[in-house]
Amino acid sequence: MSSLEVTFVTAGSTVWTGRAAQVVVPALDGSMGILPRMQPTLAILGSGDVRVIDESGRAEVFGVDGGFMSMDDDIVTIGVDSLHPATGAGSR
Amino acid sequence: MGAQQREYKKRIRSAQGMQKIFKAQEMIAAARISKAQARVEATTPYADAITQAIGAVATHTRDAVHPFLAQDRSRTGRVAILLITSDRGMAGSYSSSAIRQAERLNNTLRAEGKSVERYIVGRKGDSYFRFRNRRVEQSWTPYKETELVELGHEIAATLNARLLDESENGLDELFVVGTRFISRFQQEARVARLVPLAVVDADEDADTTFPLYDFIPDAATVLDDLVPRYVTSRIVSILLQSMASEHASRQRAMKTATDNADSQITKFTRLANAARQAEITQEITEIVGGADALAGSGRKDR
Repeated sequence: MSSLEVTFVTAGSTVWTGRAAQVVVPALDGSMGILPRMQPTLAILGSGDVRVIDESGRAEVFGVDGGFMSMDDDIVTIGVDSLHPATGAGSR
Repeated sequence: MGAQQREYKKRIRSAQGMQKIFKAQEMIAAARISKAQARVEATTPYADAITQAIGAVATHTRDAVHPFLAQDRSRTGRVAILLITSDRGMAGSYSSSAIRQAERLNNTLRAEGKSVERYIVGRKGDSYFRFRNRRVEQSWTPYKETELVELGHEIAATLNARLLDESENGLDELFVVGTRFISRFQQEARVARLVPLAVVDADEDADTTFPLYDFIPDAATVLDDLVPRYVTSRIVSILLQSMASEHASRQRAMKTATDNADSQITKFTRLANAARQAEITQEITEIVGGADALAGSGRKDR
């Protein structure tokens, strides 16, 4: 099974990099799930939780506030303005 | 001890005192370069990510329009120069070469008939223009090295608002004059044009090989959000690079100053030694001359 190559950065640091099975981001118009082989997408993020689910099925949750996400050829790049503890909404 | 010797000793002591200060400054700067460099590197992934994203929008959509992307922006004829200088001196040519670049740019722009607004970071640039009674639109000074990212966001917010201003006094273009950090030994003051964005045009044939992007929520919103964000990220990156350059420049200047103090000390030590020797020689000559005179007079007792 193919997986996603994820780079998750803030303006000043790298938060998470590696391979993931699924990523969920808070797009402006609602939560959006990203799976491998999805079409190339560029999305603007609102505030909410970013969930990165790695290949073993473990999820990591980050609360974010504003940013963008680009997805092309199974490479996912998430850049956010600010990072804070997960709000809990929408996380497991 | 003779007056001349005393004078030289005084000079040596003062050079030694200054040398200690220069040496300390040099070491502080050297320690800070690596920190500043690390900060530049920490922001690189984000800058890369946003550059890539912007590139994607610009090359994949034909209908995408954003005011910052329009190549010919000449509504008001107003352009802004953001000049980044240091707060403190003793950094060699760091601030002055940035100022010189800004002045050159200023002249070019004025020759094109544009009116220039100046935005300045750092006390050196600010005082340069204030001393000459030239208008500075806004200056951010003094600034803290640890809060450069926040400062960058603040500056970008101000400038983005002015650039998006549709009224009479909105800005057309934005230039940033900063100092690029090439290596510890090489820095270069340079001008970057941030608005209008210089999107590198990919080959026309290459367009077809790229898949169509899906924009969420839609292309216009994505651009409206992404473009100011890109400008912000560029400003922050230039600020951080300039900071690293400032430290590198200061280290070099202080190294030179330490070396100069050293040669000064050597020079005055030599002169002091010569003066002491001359004094001794003179004393001997006087004693010998006195003894000869006594012997010549034929007196036996003293």
